Amino acid sequence: METATQTDPVLRVEGLSVAAGERAVLSDISFDLHPREILAVIGESGSGKTVLARALASWLADPLRVTGGKILFRGKDLVKDPALARRLAGREIAYVGGNPAGALDPTMTVGAQLVEKLRAVRPDISSAEAKRKAIQLLDAVRIPAAAKRFEEYPFQYSGGMMQRAMIVDALISDPPLLIADNITQPLDVTVAAQILKLMRDLNHQFSTAVLFICSSLPVACDASDRVMVLNQGRVAEMQPPAALIRDPQSGYTRKLIAELPRLWDETTHAPAEERGAPVPVLSIRDVAKAYRIRRRGEAGLSVVQAVRNVSFDVYQGDNFGVVGESGCGKSSLMRLLTGLERPDHGEIVFDGADVGSAPASKLREMRRKFQLVLQDPYGSLPPQWPIGKILEEPLKIHGIGSAAERRERARSVMNEVGLPDGYYNHLTGGLSAGQRQRLNVARAMILEPRLLIMDETLSALDQTEQGKLLDLFERLQAQHGFTYIFISHDLTMVRRVCSRIAVMYLGEVVEVAPNERLFFDPGHPYSRALLSAAPTLEDRRYRPEDCLLEGEPPSPIDLPPGCAFASRCPHAFDRCRRENPVLVNRGGRALAACFLNEPASASLENAHA
Amino acid sequence: MFVLRFLVRRLLQGVVIVFLVSALIFTLLRVVPGDPVRLMAGGMAPEALIEEIATEMGLRDPIPVQFARYIGGVFRGDFGQSFVRPASGAAVGGASFDDSTRGERARVLTLIAETAPMTIQLALLAMVFALMIALPIGIAGGLNPGRWPDRMALYLSSIFVSLPNFWLGIVLALVVSVKWQLVPSIGYHGFAYTILPAFVLAIEIAPFLIRTLTVSVSGVMAQNFIDIARVRGLSWGQIVFRHALKNASVPLLNLLGVQFSMLLGGVLVIEFIFDYPGLGLLTINAVMQRDFPLIQGIAIITAAAFVLINIVVDLAATAIDPRLDY
Amino acid sequence: MSVTDISPAADRVAAAQTVSSRIWRLAFASIEFRIGLVVFILLVLAAALYPEISGIDPTKLSVREKLIPPLFMGETWTWKHPLGTDQLGRDMLSRSLVGLRYSLLIGVATTVLMLLVGAIVGLLSGYYGGRVDMVLMRLTDAQLAIPMIILAITILGVSRPTIPSIILVLGLAGWPVYARVMRSTVMSESKKEYVRGAIVLGATNMRIMFLLILPLVLPPMAFVAVLDIARMMIFESVLGFIGLGVQPPTPTFGNIIADGRKYIMNAWWIATMPGAFLVVTLTSINLMGAALERARNKVYGGA
Repeated sequence: METATQTDPVLRVEGLSVAAGERAVLSDISFDLHPREILAVIGESGSGKTVLARALASWLADPLRVTGGKILFRGKDLVKDPALARRLAGREIAYVGGNPAGALDPTMTVGAQLVEKLRAVRPDISSAEAKRKAIQLLDAVRIPAAAKRFEEYPFQYSGGMMQRAMIVDALISDPPLLIADNITQPLDVTVAAQILKLMRDLNHQFSTAVLFICSSLPVACDASDRVMVLNQGRVAEMQPPAALIRDPQSGYTRKLIAELPRLWDETTHAPAEERGAPVPVLSIRDVAKAYRIRRRGEAGLSVVQAVRNVSFDVYQGDNFGVVGESGCGKSSLMRLLTGLERPDHGEIVFDGADVGSAPASKLREMRRKFQLVLQDPYGSLPPQWPIGKILEEPLKIHGIGSAAERRERARSVMNEVGLPDGYYNHLTGGLSAGQRQRLNVARAMILEPRLLIMDETLSALDQTEQGKLLDLFERLQAQHGFTYIFISHDLTMVRRVCSRIAVMYLGEVVEVAPNERLFFDPGHPYSRALLSAAPTLEDRRYRPEDCLLEGEPPSPIDLPPGCAFASRCPHAFDRCRRENPVLVNRGGRALAACFLNEPASASLENAHA
Repeated sequence: MFVLRFLVRRLLQGVVIVFLVSALIFTLLRVVPGDPVRLMAGGMAPEALIEEIATEMGLRDPIPVQFARYIGGVFRGDFGQSFVRPASGAAVGGASFDDSTRGERARVLTLIAETAPMTIQLALLAMVFALMIALPIGIAGGLNPGRWPDRMALYLSSIFVSLPNFWLGIVLALVVSVKWQLVPSIGYHGFAYTILPAFVLAIEIAPFLIRTLTVSVSGVMAQNFIDIARVRGLSWGQIVFRHALKNASVPLLNLLGVQFSMLLGGVLVIEFIFDYPGLGLLTINAVMQRDFPLIQGIAIITAAAFVLINIVVDLAATAIDPRLDY
Repeated sequence: MSVTDISPAADRVAAAQTVSSRIWRLAFASIEFRIGLVVFILLVLAAALYPEISGIDPTKLSVREKLIPPLFMGETWTWKHPLGTDQLGRDMLSRSLVGLRYSLLIGVATTVLMLLVGAIVGLLSGYYGGRVDMVLMRLTDAQLAIPMIILAITILGVSRPTIPSIILVLGLAGWPVYARVMRSTVMSESKKEYVRGAIVLGATNMRIMFLLILPLVLPPMAFVAVLDIARMMIFESVLGFIGLGVQPPTPTFGNIIADGRKYIMNAWWIATMPGAFLVVTLTSINLMGAALERARNKVYGGA
């Protein structure tokens, strides 16, 4: 075993096997974990990595059970002694899961639950002492105003903060072993990057051994000292990250590495910008939308500025991308573009008419020409409808064709997107996520629209399935001349398919640039931060150390004056806090909203500062 | 501060509700057939006299006018006087139709104030009994979904809910009071007379509590934070008593708010059977005697009570689960 | 990813059935439901056939046969009157069975009416939201604030109780609970993506409400409404008991029991036997209803 330390392992797993009923889920897993070591476990869904995490935390529920092997914690076998395992749970062996939102009782303050947990496993510690320790740790994981946050309820925490609180919850009893199961999965990339950095810091500070379960190879390699690759319940290989990437031993790992998308690979095929004369299909001018919400415990209504003064054009045959993290306003923008909501002001001109102000009947007619493919493959189809009926519904709505013609049309579209003909009378229940998204696409294109808006259409799918659907989109575009708008949080996806990309932050478009330009010469510090946090094995063009953001985006309710990004921007200066930069052309049809792109004024302000 | 604003908003809503209720009841009483004056004056009274009394009492004015007059009184705290009940002593008989001294008839508010405490006593005791029955059965069922405590909760609540309250009242009165002479039950001459009616009422309410409890407890137990609490090192007792039951109590509270009217309905029938001198008996008699002012008064007061109880329930629910917005 | 997708194959088969049929199957598989169903069918058959087949008229007086106790009780019992006779010599069994007919008729009709009114109010309220919602919900609250029984006895007490008026009054008094449940389901349903998808396809509000949402949310609600049939049957008997139900000489559980109460000290069976009969009927319905409700919760909880 090649490890940094010479000490005895905290955890030694020997030949561990777990089965669900008769089916083996994990077979013959063996490894050692030493103090201070971070061992990453990666694998696809179904590889058994979560089962491994739960087996180690003594948290297997029916029908899962350990069928063989040993879990030696400091030399004592937890499989043989379940009572000991229960005593150790939470005290010596801590667990952090991937769903921080539901991990604590919603009716008690976070602080009270941290104290409760510590005193449950360490009754010898007084309440006051436990509280002191909890606040100290909350502070250590960089939760601002920890003493105040101690008194708040889980729902008052954002996802990233909640995950930090759960890390505190795990570490508060000074456990020698931490099992981190998919802890960054639900978080935005920039927040996930912060959490990973935090975990490494804490690992050094508290000399905790960490078993880090995750599904992304780049994240695993970034975070760990060794990587264990699981494939179908077996260890495919185990190596330090650098060696693993340089010289993968198993075919499975090689395949994983080969499938990873690359952002800066010169050979990456990026769709060429505009093919032919630029004819705008969709023109957005100064569109803004604010929502009035009643905020908990406050008088009157607060205004959430979800979309602020967004302008861009989408050209015929374009693949236009809109990227940003959760809460950046891309979903609100989608609702405006599709006429689900009306903008407060501004115009959304499609085909010569304004979507934002068209009367309801006109809008319904216009909908034939632009369609939306939604994000959630499970929620977006009417439940309990047979596939044929789903596909014929849009035709019925618009009164197109006879029953026989509609049936014919539905079958031909099914064929085009690659759904077997026999599925015509099937319910959607048996379809896979990928098949459902194909069905969604088929339903949208049966009306032969000009513009298809893809709202996170691929984000629920795995890498392979994404690839297949992207090929499908390309083929359909070639055949039908569709124009696409991709709304996504996934940089690698937009890098692969989009010709031009808009980056959104807190309701504004901060940068619009052709694909290559955005990835090789971003004009906005936020774009650089996003790129630096993207999960990739490549040498980063933007070092996280230089670009990584502190904190989380401010609430869109009380926006500070000036640039919305100023509070997190490593380059912010006085002017940024007073004045909001507008999109300025940087040449070559790339626009960015940052004062740094005006060299004269920037240096002037810097001189003042 | 937030609580205050919540209270103001909900009370205003409540005023609207009570206003709607009184308008509804008032109109209903006047459009359905059945002339109270005929009943008051007795069958022998000449038509002209009935008309005279009716006009004098304002019962021949257009309904909106009558309603405006009535609601004006209500806002001043005056719910009017009973058509038939004397202020004290024996009931005013139908024969005395020439007795037009209406000043001697009981004030509606007084009648309600006299009987309400009896009903509240009955309802509270019933609630205590119901909780004593439902809590152990419901919680045990919720903690063991699919196993025998769960089945027992299902069977018991199915049987309880199938027992018509009036029938159960008769049977229990026959067996417990008459045959075994354990507790007295007909009429009211002391607290002991509340026990049997309250028990019958409790059996009527309990199945709803049991059902809600089993569903909410098992729902909470299936949640992520309960599951993870074991891995966090909390004991079973802490998980169940500090977390699961607390979370599961919110639906129970809401049930109490919504089922308030069911409780009152039960009270009505049970008071009737046991001849228990509460609001329910008053209501039934008022209906039988077509005592419009009394019916209206009771409807308004119960609607107001419903509104208040729901406000209290929501306040309590918010105190338990801070996510619930005011 | 999670431990839950251990048996995807089985889940898929299950998911491929419609929710309603899954609820049916699950409920039907439970022993409670079967017991309830068998008892219920037997009772309904008896109610439908016995009074005619036996040729015993439930309203026929027979002074000679008055106050005969039920089977094996006392000395005068006879197979001719298994549940005994009342103070006027009327056969209790056939009276109970005829009462059951009215009880079922009123229970089912009332529940259907409640369900319809409640579903439509809730659908409009939940789908449109905003002002429509506010007006409808205040109305619902007002209706909910008057105890149903007070409303019912007030209307029936001052007017004449007939079967249609009883159905109307109970039905109109009972809809608010359905409206509330419907409203909240429709609200959460109409936030879902498939509704958004339908809007984007150009579907009208009416189409979405009545063709997309209603068929989805109504059946689960209707299953649980079975419980309310029993509740309404109790209400009907309460009304009869107070004297505001279907009027004598037509026998109903309520008026039989009210009648028998006067003779409770010397002929206990007149008041208690029909009640026991009613309890058995209600229990059978409630068992079916509870099994359906459980099945529904299970299907929704596991979906």
